[in-house]
Amino acid sequence: MNIFLYELKAYRKSTLVWTFSLLAIVTMFMSFYPSISKDIDQFTKLLEGFPEPVRKAFGLQLDNMGTIMGFYSYMFLYLTLCGAIQGMNLGISVLSKETRDKTADFLLTKPVTRVNILTAKLMATAVSLILTNAVYMIGAGMMASQVKTEDYSMKIFVMISLTLLFIQLIFLVLGLLLSVLFARIKSVLTVSLGVVFCFFFIGMLAATGGDEAKRFLSPFKYFDTAYIIEHSSYEAPYLLAGIGIIAASLITSYIAYMKKDIHAG
Amino acid sequence: MNVIEIKNLTKTYGKARGITNISFNVEEGEIFGFIGPNGAGKSTTIRTLLSLIYPTGGSAKIFGKDCIESAHEIAKDIGYLPSEVFYYDNMKVMDLLKYSASFYKKDCWKRIMELAEIMDLDLNKKIDDLSLGNKKKVGIVQGLLHDPKLIILDEPTSGLDPLMQQKFFELLEQVNKKGATILFSSHILSEVQRLCDRVAIIKEGQIVQVEKISILKENNHKKFKIETKEKISPAFFQLAGVNNVEAHDDTISFLFRGDINTVMRKMAEIDIVNLWIEEPDLEEIFMHYYVKEA
Repeated sequence: MNIFLYELKAYRKSTLVWTFSLLAIVTMFMSFYPSISKDIDQFTKLLEGFPEPVRKAFGLQLDNMGTIMGFYSYMFLYLTLCGAIQGMNLGISVLSKETRDKTADFLLTKPVTRVNILTAKLMATAVSLILTNAVYMIGAGMMASQVKTEDYSMKIFVMISLTLLFIQLIFLVLGLLLSVLFARIKSVLTVSLGVVFCFFFIGMLAATGGDEAKRFLSPFKYFDTAYIIEHSSYEAPYLLAGIGIIAASLITSYIAYMKKDIHAG
Repeated sequence: MNVIEIKNLTKTYGKARGITNISFNVEEGEIFGFIGPNGAGKSTTIRTLLSLIYPTGGSAKIFGKDCIESAHEIAKDIGYLPSEVFYYDNMKVMDLLKYSASFYKKDCWKRIMELAEIMDLDLNKKIDDLSLGNKKKVGIVQGLLHDPKLIILDEPTSGLDPLMQQKFFELLEQVNKKGATILFSSHILSEVQRLCDRVAIIKEGQIVQVEKISILKENNHKKFKIETKEKISPAFFQLAGVNNVEAHDDTISFLFRGDINTVMRKMAEIDIVNLWIEEPDLEEIFMHYYVKEA
């Protein structure tokens, strides 16, 4: 419990910064909505000028851009990009910051098992992400109800917003896995930006092709907002793939961390 | 009773040398020196004892329990001070010590205050702002605050000024008298000579010798230097155990190892003006372990 509380406190600042950044993005985008929905016909015409693959890559769905959920799901792509970076940063830092700050010796010579250390640390990161999402969802919900031009389904709004947390958790465990497998990560941000953007572009490419199998390659494409709006549900195969990635990465990370030699500075 | 039992402990890292077949025991209540040049394998051995790294062969027991399997249990009674101390920077000294104490299920507050007083440590400063020596003090307090039964020190004195070093040694002697066993790793011989009962000498990943400090000194050469009235030929001291005979004008010097009476009888035959018999210091004793065989 002491490790959990300490870690949670250590993430306080970064959690606040990320939460407010996400809120700022959603506020900014949503404030465009009233004017876009007013001129949606012209806007659609303008967008039609782009070739279809490009529109797909950028997540533009012409038929529902004029509805608040359609617009929300379009901008949501960029929110998940941000959120993924937050998740990945946390995941990579969890263990690598102990090596970088040379505090691993301190922690690992205390009467706690490595499993307990990792669990406490992961719980702290998960709680940070959940708090971020809770605050985000309240803020985004308030913003949506301010700018809406017609009623929308609260359920769909929550379902779309929840995918942010899913994606963050996937990147959290991927980051953790990277930090356990590769001995020394000097700069967390470089690695996490690299990996996240890589998956983001893979996701963009996958979206243009129309080949459903390609979507498995990028966690960004596991939750198709158009599908969620239409069916009010997630797509089971991709949801399972996400859960599978989380489970496999966690198990591998735990095993690798148990066996890992902790070297001095 | 042995507090630490190390049997054939081996750790190899690919090509780089680790440690090979290390075996020695540390008895309850002793201050055991672990000495060798930098890179000889001292830290590797210690980190294995603390299960920070895992051995590729052999085993080690602390308090009779396997130090890998029962690592977290053993850790309750171990205090460890690494050679380089780095702690969570944006914390106050007090917060770090409280965090450290929170891992042990006992009230350490009184002991923290005592130790901080002895080591002259300001608890309200941020760790970030501390000098190397003061960070080291935080490490010392952190390692001792839970009254550990075994204290493992990896080159603990670097960065401490001589006065603090003195206080630190006194502190160690004090906790040792109360029953704590100490494993003290160092490459500074005078420290070991000052504190330890027994030493293990490690060189290139292998234990060269484990011995009482007093015996190490007894078993070794004494330095003789004799000033005589008349010049004496070096051949005069051709005795078993005499080495490195050097004669300059009316002085003759040599190293001797063995029964001192034989030399004394021999010396009685000559007319002596002055005589020096010196104990070699540990430095000289260890030197021959240190120097790599050519």
